[in-house]
Amino acid sequence: MSMNLVNLNVNPCKMCMPMGSVTALFGIRHCFSILHGSQGCATYIRRHMATHYNEPIDVASSSLTEQGTVFGGSDNLIKGIKNVIKLYNPEIIGISTTCLAETIGEDVKNIIYQFYSENPNETVKIIHVSSSGYAGTQYEGFFRALHAVLAQTIMKTGANNKINVVTGQISPADTRWLREVLDSSGLEYVLFPDLSENLDGGYNTEYSRLPEGGTTLEEIAQMGGARFTLELSSFVEDEYSPAKYLFDNYGVQYKRMPLPVGVKNTDTFLNALKELGAVVTSATKSQRKRYLDALVDGHKYSALGRAVVFGEPDTVKAISDLCCESGVVPTVVATGSECKGFAAVLENNVQEACERLFVEKHFIATNADFDKIEELAVETKANVMIGNGDGRRVAAKLGLNLIRCGFPIHDQVGGQRVRMLGYEGSLDLLDKINNALLLGVEETFRITQYKKYYQGNGLDRQNINLSETEPAARTREELHAKNSGKTKTHPCYNCGAGQFGRIHLPIAPKCNIQCNYCLRKYDCPNESRPGVTTEVLLPKEALKKYLYVKEQVPNITVVGIAGPGDALANFPETKETLRLIRQEDPDVTFCLSTNGLMLPIYAQELIDLGVSHVTVTINAVDPIIGAKIYQHIDFMGQSYTGEAAAGILLGNQLSGLKYLTDRGVICKVNIVMLKGINDEHIEDIVKKVRELNCDITNIMQMIPVKGSIFEDMPLVNKKEVMQMRIKCEQHLKQMLHCKQCRADAIGTLDNDISFDFRQGKRQQTIVTEQTMKRIAVATSNGILVDQHFGQVKEFYIYESDGVSVKFIEKREVIPYCKGAAECGVAAEDKIESIIKTIKECGAVLALRIGDSPSKKLKAMGIRSITTYDRIEDAVRKAVNL
Amino acid sequence: MQEREKILDNYTAKVFKNRKDHIVQLEESGVSQEIAANSRSIPGMMVNRGCCYAGCKGVVLGPLRDVVTITHGPVGCGFYSWGTRRNKANNPDGRNFIQYCFTTDMQESDIVFGGEKKLKQAIKEAVEIFHPECVLICSTCPIGLIGDDIQAVATWAQEAFKIQCVAFSCEGYRGVSQSAGHHIANNGLMKHIIGTGDALPHAGKHTVNILGEYNIGGDGWETSRVLKRIGYEVLNVFTGDGSYEGIKDSHIADLNLVMCHRSINYIAEMMKIKYGIDWLKVNCIGIQETIRSLREMAMYFNDPVITAKTEEVIADEYAAITGDLDFYKEKLAGKTAGIFVGGSRTHHYQSLLKELGVKTVIGGYEFAHRDDYEGRDVLPSIKLDADNKNIEEITVNKDEAKYRLVIDRERFEELKDKIELEEYKGMFRDMDSGTITVDDFNHYETEKLMEIFKPDIFYSGIKDKYMMVKAGMPARQLHSYDYSGPYSCFQGALNFARDSYMAIYAPAWKLIEAPWKTTSTLMGKIGGAQ
Repeated sequence: MSMNLVNLNVNPCKMCMPMGSVTALFGIRHCFSILHGSQGCATYIRRHMATHYNEPIDVASSSLTEQGTVFGGSDNLIKGIKNVIKLYNPEIIGISTTCLAETIGEDVKNIIYQFYSENPNETVKIIHVSSSGYAGTQYEGFFRALHAVLAQTIMKTGANNKINVVTGQISPADTRWLREVLDSSGLEYVLFPDLSENLDGGYNTEYSRLPEGGTTLEEIAQMGGARFTLELSSFVEDEYSPAKYLFDNYGVQYKRMPLPVGVKNTDTFLNALKELGAVVTSATKSQRKRYLDALVDGHKYSALGRAVVFGEPDTVKAISDLCCESGVVPTVVATGSECKGFAAVLENNVQEACERLFVEKHFIATNADFDKIEELAVETKANVMIGNGDGRRVAAKLGLNLIRCGFPIHDQVGGQRVRMLGYEGSLDLLDKINNALLLGVEETFRITQYKKYYQGNGLDRQNINLSETEPAARTREELHAKNSGKTKTHPCYNCGAGQFGRIHLPIAPKCNIQCNYCLRKYDCPNESRPGVTTEVLLPKEALKKYLYVKEQVPNITVVGIAGPGDALANFPETKETLRLIRQEDPDVTFCLSTNGLMLPIYAQELIDLGVSHVTVTINAVDPIIGAKIYQHIDFMGQSYTGEAAAGILLGNQLSGLKYLTDRGVICKVNIVMLKGINDEHIEDIVKKVRELNCDITNIMQMIPVKGSIFEDMPLVNKKEVMQMRIKCEQHLKQMLHCKQCRADAIGTLDNDISFDFRQGKRQQTIVTEQTMKRIAVATSNGILVDQHFGQVKEFYIYESDGVSVKFIEKREVIPYCKGAAECGVAAEDKIESIIKTIKECGAVLALRIGDSPSKKLKAMGIRSITTYDRIEDAVRKAVNL
Repeated sequence: MQEREKILDNYTAKVFKNRKDHIVQLEESGVSQEIAANSRSIPGMMVNRGCCYAGCKGVVLGPLRDVVTITHGPVGCGFYSWGTRRNKANNPDGRNFIQYCFTTDMQESDIVFGGEKKLKQAIKEAVEIFHPECVLICSTCPIGLIGDDIQAVATWAQEAFKIQCVAFSCEGYRGVSQSAGHHIANNGLMKHIIGTGDALPHAGKHTVNILGEYNIGGDGWETSRVLKRIGYEVLNVFTGDGSYEGIKDSHIADLNLVMCHRSINYIAEMMKIKYGIDWLKVNCIGIQETIRSLREMAMYFNDPVITAKTEEVIADEYAAITGDLDFYKEKLAGKTAGIFVGGSRTHHYQSLLKELGVKTVIGGYEFAHRDDYEGRDVLPSIKLDADNKNIEEITVNKDEAKYRLVIDRERFEELKDKIELEEYKGMFRDMDSGTITVDDFNHYETEKLMEIFKPDIFYSGIKDKYMMVKAGMPARQLHSYDYSGPYSCFQGALNFARDSYMAIYAPAWKLIEAPWKTTSTLMGKIGGAQ
């Protein structure tokens, strides 16, 4: 179930603006920060910075109380300024506003003016940064502070020979590298800000309350007269860009470039310095050679990497670049900021890295929280994480190594000394990534090989001893007879029961195994057509839907749970749904289908809930064959692959099946016939399940799902399937009338009317005479309507008169929706361009569609219909609506 | 008493006037003196206090494991209170949301147009994914100002999702410190959760709640282990590893044990009035204090089996640690310490240090009230100022159906004279003459005290820890225990002794020298002067 959380941020991957502002001001000499607001803000920020930097972090607060919110905070702020001067004697005081001050509309500029007029002899310089917590993250706060410092400094007139180097938040160790490079370059420079000493000081015999490092006020005053500015940021907005400010106001030419991480970015930076007259030392040259050597040495390990890179936009971009050039594929690149242009800048590199190694999926996400990052990490099968220490929870949960860099790092020491800038810093980071990947192999290699070659099949180990719980034979037969009675009205278990209907309730989104013929974004093709369900229901909603449908369609005799994932992988929901329905309807037949992995564990509970029919999909009774069909299973919190996975699954399927049949539950086994894999083996499966007293088997064709491992596998034809069924008929009764229906199917097998019950509404379908109508369809494969309107790469255009459906052509479009970053004003134009490509169509069919494009389409007379269905059916229904 | 004067020396007249009443040097051991407390901090003074939200969400509500607590406000506050207090929690029923941070992450437009709609949606999303039985809403500064009615949203959510939903208006600017937040959290729990369950008292058992125990580093687990060994049933811990499910039925306890008096005395008082439950001030930090607390509990229940078992467990637990403890005592004897913590620990740890042979020369609280220093006797004489009047005082009435007296009142009165039943005598009674106590200590005063007293170790928090260690003084965090713990009861005392020993005897100190051993300190530099 893909939840698109827009209102609840679960585990944020960002902090607030004052944090960034305070950090930036630490890079200025003899500067002291006051946060104008509640004292909690200062306390929280001090606590977070102190833990990361392992330094005393002195930030004062104006300690606003309720009275201040009513009468304004000027008294408090002025008192705060005075006390800070008295006790710390700073050269500069930086006042950053918090949510509270901004919300009550404090005029800080005026308060400062008031302070100076009351204290005319005061020489301290006061800088005011507007940094409400709701207007951006620490990333924006950092640049806002730099911008404010420049804008509120009186620049020295006259040109000088300096160059300005402006950075965002980088570690003190990286700042020291920058200074070394600049010192040895022979250039005169101003590094702004300079966090190198204040946030990572040495041990001094003299303790100074005001840290002694940082850019001096005098240096800052020279920045307006400098000959050039290099701004090491990819995403700083013009409005708060120091370089842009110096250009606009003082005509200082500038160049913006990514942080010098990786060989390309470092080359760019050093070349820029060279053009400005810098000397590149031989030491730097040999560092470059060493980094290239390391790229070569490590390439075979790097290529195994599927990395999740997260944190602040500039850092993430730089690390992502390093990954791409070393062969590590950054499958998830995410920032918590709402960074404009993020995806556009990153997409090409990442795309190229993916294509080189046939990695199908990657995500570039802005405004991401860790919940989202985790989801994407799982989806792209990432094997390493690179980012701040807050990723540790996801890393622990997914069993990944986390390489810590960026801010904050609270669970380890040395966050202030993490290096990634320059050739040597890049080398540090690259080694860490490769070592993390090697560690992953080292930790699993032996056990995998051992299991493969030395351990007996998983069946023996996982078999559950049932002897103690063997029920009396009499009870079994009685129950079986009773349940068989229900088979008479079960359309799937009895081909003579075609007049009876069933309802599949789509309450089970998760699955615990990965079949090679299945792509998890669809539901399970064994029991249901791909394409869940337009909705996943909660148990209460499922009850409501059942009661409603039952009223409209009285021939419903069976309630089934068939996914869209696995019924037992969602057992609490399954249990609750059945419980609720049983309370309302004591007679309806309960049926469910499962892959059988959790069957031994829940079998008794299913019986207690009154489930009389269970379908288990068993595609092999030999773990060696099973290993070719199942990619991995998740069992009891562990992930297994290969024969171990197939062995555990099989053991559980068979013991669960036996448990049920021993207690009189009617069991069906579904078998997906896979050419060249299990087609020779199917008879063995049927024989085995007959031994276990299974009632019926159902041999089916595989439905090829695009994107799954088996997508290109040749199919068995219907004739071959039928022959196999006839062959197996001698062993056990065969189901011949399976329709492989949806997870939310309703009605009789021949007439699925679930479309009419979407969102609980039944609409009368009236077929009238129609002329040919054009319909645009958002699809990825030409079979199903399965794409989000905004993300579609091409539209398929169809014509239909409501009966026949004709494919006309494909039309390419530029997708407009790549995450929130680009959904701003610019996105509006993109919507227009998409709409233009389909302007003559009467309707557009898509899996989902945003509100704004939907309105735009409506204004142009194009109906937008959201559905998940086979294209032919959907087009027909759309024309007939 | 000249040390006190030295600290106040450098202040301007205005600041001097304010701070002089917050700094007390005891004239006579164990005799209280009046101290000013629970009043506004001076702007610009670098105090260690947090805000109302920190007290409400961070301290009291945060440790509840099975509730989804949504911070309604911009992203910062939720983020900063995410997993920073080391309040550990178990996961017995699959409902442990302690590792999560939930926030509405309000943006500029939400501030302008109001955030109620977003909050409602956020609750809906939380309910859909996590299926909690209870959702708590904590608001941050802007919420009270833009006028979001979170109480109405809570009522709506109760109806819409058939869950418990409680809103806490704990905007950071309320009150003068975390303490306001504790009070607000106490009120909300009392009004909406405590006593809403329908469990019946467990007959034949001695049941207790532990109040004001947040299970930092596992303290609550260690205390519960010892209590269970004796034969008590620990119903609920407020709120370390506590749960909504449990707290609903906390009214069936026989006795409430109060650890942190500051943060939870409101609930103890109100449960007494409403349900008749007596409360006992205990202290499970320090061996003698633990023994005293266990014996007073036994006296309360007056059950010969429990009394015998209490002595047996005390003897056994004590025997298990004595050997190791003797080593640490030998190493720590004669050392001096400073303790600056929140509102209870500074008192709790003094007796433990004394047992180890360490003399506490400096004590301080961030947000304590006068009764925490001077004892509850002063309560009637505390005047409410404007800041405190803004915090709601709720009145509870006797719940006839659930009211229950465990011991008869005659015996209660008799015990009251003997044990700390419904009484807290404050920190001063355990301090020596000449020691300094600072209320709402700030950076400057801490530094000055370090210089004057030069203690061998300082127990404080992360914000002043680095200032101390950089000055060559061992420091340990008493808020989060520096990834260590538990420190409670017998085994915990041993952990604490080991950690203190490790801190003082770390080889690093030999390689550096404390600044005051070589030159005079505090050479404030005039801005810009090189």
